[in-house]
Amino acid sequence: MGGSPGGPIDRGQHEVEDWERLADAINAALGGKGLQTTDQHRRAIESLEEYRDLSYYERWVAATEKLLVEKGVLTSDEIDERAASIRRHWGEP
Amino acid sequence: MTFEPGDNVRVLPSEKPGHVRTPGYLKGKAGWIESLVGEFPNPEELAYGFSGKPERPLYRVGFRQADLWDDYEGPAEDCLYADVYEHWLEPGEGAPT
Amino acid sequence: MSGHHQHERAGRTTSPYAARIRAIEALLLEKGVLTEPEVQDSISYMEARSPANGAKLVARAWMDGRFEELLLSDAKAAALQLGMEPEHPAEFIVVKNTPGVHNLIVCTLCSCYPRAILGRPPDWYKSFEYRSRAVREPRAVMREFGFEPPEDVEVIVHDSTADVRYMVLPLRPLGTEDMGEDELVELVTRDSLVGVNVPRS
Repeated sequence: MGGSPGGPIDRGQHEVEDWERLADAINAALGGKGLQTTDQHRRAIESLEEYRDLSYYERWVAATEKLLVEKGVLTSDEIDERAASIRRHWGEP
Repeated sequence: MTFEPGDNVRVLPSEKPGHVRTPGYLKGKAGWIESLVGEFPNPEELAYGFSGKPERPLYRVGFRQADLWDDYEGPAEDCLYADVYEHWLEPGEGAPT
Repeated sequence: MSGHHQHERAGRTTSPYAARIRAIEALLLEKGVLTEPEVQDSISYMEARSPANGAKLVARAWMDGRFEELLLSDAKAAALQLGMEPEHPAEFIVVKNTPGVHNLIVCTLCSCYPRAILGRPPDWYKSFEYRSRAVREPRAVMREFGFEPPEDVEVIVHDSTADVRYMVLPLRPLGTEDMGEDELVELVTRDSLVGVNVPRS
């Protein structure tokens, strides 16, 4: 990344959304309980195939999910199911 | 500690796979030891759930920007500092052997 | 922060990951992996941190030479002295701007930033463009932020590659000799603590 060509820097600041605050908090809480480390999370982010296509906190969520599944704490299926149910509740497809 | 402040060093050009905290643009580059930051568990191992022990020395290493980039636009004095683990460094040119 | 369990209204969020992190939260709570107070505490922790903390460290250093010495030699101790809680076990290092030297902070590998003091980094700090260009063309980057150090000022870039978090101690603007600490705090912008710009004057 360092030294690669790059375009102008977008200096806009998006308003941090609640889900992004939650992503931050879940990450910190898991770290605080010794269930994951910063280095594990960084490694998980770096290994995401979708790295370039995701926004900053989307990468965080994807990496947290990857670690939780790796550690056998949650399964992708149950996350899928619950996420779908939440979206239905919000009136989203 | 292998290195002292002022020592010339070179960053290893290693292409080791996995999680590393040595950026690509520094690999193979010559610089100098500015200071020892301290000793920390190895992040390359922590990243995979290992203990990272024994802890490794971490140094602040200085580089001349003109040595890092062929097209650097700025005075010769401009520098860059990065934090590099000892196991990524070897003695550089002009270093005592 | 109250209301963190309120659902985002449909259409307000644009990311499928919003539902995903809510799902992860719900499942972790149900399984007892995390508790509600733990999640709430983490949210509150980050909300309590902001660039105002950095501004206070700088203003105190400008007013008090001994505090400046402490800030530059043991920044964690200086932060603790002002009631702040720096991150552990990473180091916290403050680098001083002088008439001859201007410092710029970046994390090319991810987005390391002294969050425990300053809170969340700005979006631009985390962008691919900043992370790529700050190391290679710091002067061009600073120009985009409206700041151009003179040619005879050395620019030093610090890439927080490992277990160190950096903050800049900017130069005190001229003409502020009669200002009190509270007024000085107002001059110190978040951008000047990263080094893409200088304080207000």
